[in-house]
Amino acid sequence: MKLTQNLSKDEKKMIRKMFWRSATMYISVNPITMGGGGFCYSMIPFIHHFYKNKEDRKLALERHTAYFSTTIPFASFVMGIAGSMEKENSEKPNFDPKSINAIKLSLMGPLAGIGDSLFWGVWRVVCAGLAIGLANAGNFLAPLIFLLAFNIPNYLIRYYGAFLGYSLGSKYIEKMYSEGIIAVLTKAASILGLIMVGAMTVQMVKFKTVLAFHMHGKEIMNVQNVLDSIFVGIIPLLITFLCFYLLKKKVNVIAIIFGIMVLGVLLSVLGIV
Amino acid sequence: MYDAIVVAFAVFAGVAGHELLGMSMLSRPIVVAPLTGLLLGYLNTGLLVGASLETIFMGVVNIGISSTAEPSLAAGLATVFSINMGGNMGAIIPLVFPLAILGLQLMNLIFSFVIGPFAPKFRKLALEGKEKSIVGLHYGLWFLHYGLYALIPFFAVLFGSDVVRDVLNSIPKVIMNGLTVAGNMLPAVGMAMLLMMLWDNKIAAYFFLGVVLVAYLKLPLIAVATIAFIIAVVVSPRDLQLKKMATASAPDVNAAISDEEEDFFK
Repeated sequence: MKLTQNLSKDEKKMIRKMFWRSATMYISVNPITMGGGGFCYSMIPFIHHFYKNKEDRKLALERHTAYFSTTIPFASFVMGIAGSMEKENSEKPNFDPKSINAIKLSLMGPLAGIGDSLFWGVWRVVCAGLAIGLANAGNFLAPLIFLLAFNIPNYLIRYYGAFLGYSLGSKYIEKMYSEGIIAVLTKAASILGLIMVGAMTVQMVKFKTVLAFHMHGKEIMNVQNVLDSIFVGIIPLLITFLCFYLLKKKVNVIAIIFGIMVLGVLLSVLGIV
Repeated sequence: MYDAIVVAFAVFAGVAGHELLGMSMLSRPIVVAPLTGLLLGYLNTGLLVGASLETIFMGVVNIGISSTAEPSLAAGLATVFSINMGGNMGAIIPLVFPLAILGLQLMNLIFSFVIGPFAPKFRKLALEGKEKSIVGLHYGLWFLHYGLYALIPFFAVLFGSDVVRDVLNSIPKVIMNGLTVAGNMLPAVGMAMLLMMLWDNKIAAYFFLGVVLVAYLKLPLIAVATIAFIIAVVVSPRDLQLKKMATASAPDVNAAISDEEEDFFK
């Protein structure tokens, strides 16, 4: 296989380990960092191999606990690229490690967009359609055929994606780094990332008030309509910026999470939501 | 009792296996219902329930929290109830959609309020360099998440679905509503953590572009990603040129521009 041509034995072994780990990316899924814990878990073979110094390892581990979410067949491709960048970072003292997460973030959105519609939207429906017919005919192989038909491409793409990501990364990142393209790319990736975070904030952070003022039994003011006429999504934005501000002030994340829970119940008791 | 254990096992194997094996679709009704049927000795009923539920839930995909129903719970319960009623599926089918919606709500409660508070722990362990604990936490949360979820069909079959509904109804509505609202706000913390990483006054304006594209133009994320990609492609060559000019002649060309922009956004 062409993909593995220039890789050392150690590298192939690491990539294979990462591939197996990447299957579990979402098992620790949570509303704060989604697959972040699983991403970090999948990167451990790389981090262990590239960094001999304990402090460097800690920083690398921490980097990969950040928010990450994409369709799982494409996850290993991003991990492969991140792995090749970690290699670069471990060898070049003035490599900007920020670029690693910037690249990850810029890839996850578009890949999720393609992957979700391709895998969940199209391929799963095709496989299920096939299996439903068999099951209705009483064929006990129906569930097995469904699983095999869905998962063979699922696993193949994830397997070769891991090698492809790492090879592409190794091939181009060094060259881009020496020509100063990485810095430009990091900025471009950050722009892409910021636009996506803005979009996701509106789409994923949801808030709607039921508060309304009445006079003589008639509704004279619907607060949500007023808020929407000021700016659609103003409350989710404010909540997000408040969290951002608190994080900057080094407030503990757990405290923020519990704060939001208390706030939700409080608003509900007050009849605002 | 045996029925309850079997359903709990089948639902756990479905949802937990689905996540563990790379979103392998083990949690779909076409898998969970025949598995339940097989273990109870009524494979054929399981296959039929699986086929009809798979058809009903064809459009439902569970990716994170952006879903409408969680069908594996409904698949397990519908199979047991059908078998207990002598293979009469017709009476069960109208129940499955409410069951699946309830399943999703309970799954989201576990997701937000049991798993959510553990999320920052990954970063903490990483900073302490405790690799083994990261692995443990990763798998521990998996077991906790889906183990708790599998208890629901266990008790539902053990006590009958009426008792379960009564228990859920006894939680004050105002508290449930508040928790749901809080669950909808929680992703703000994740977004804020991303902003911690990406925020830079020089390019922060782009954040609001993303906001407007979704809030007002209602564009799907893939369209936003394409627009963002185009902007990144257009901006990069100019940056590269600036960088070359800066290294070639005056090194403060870049600095002067960014100062100006920074003042503007402050």
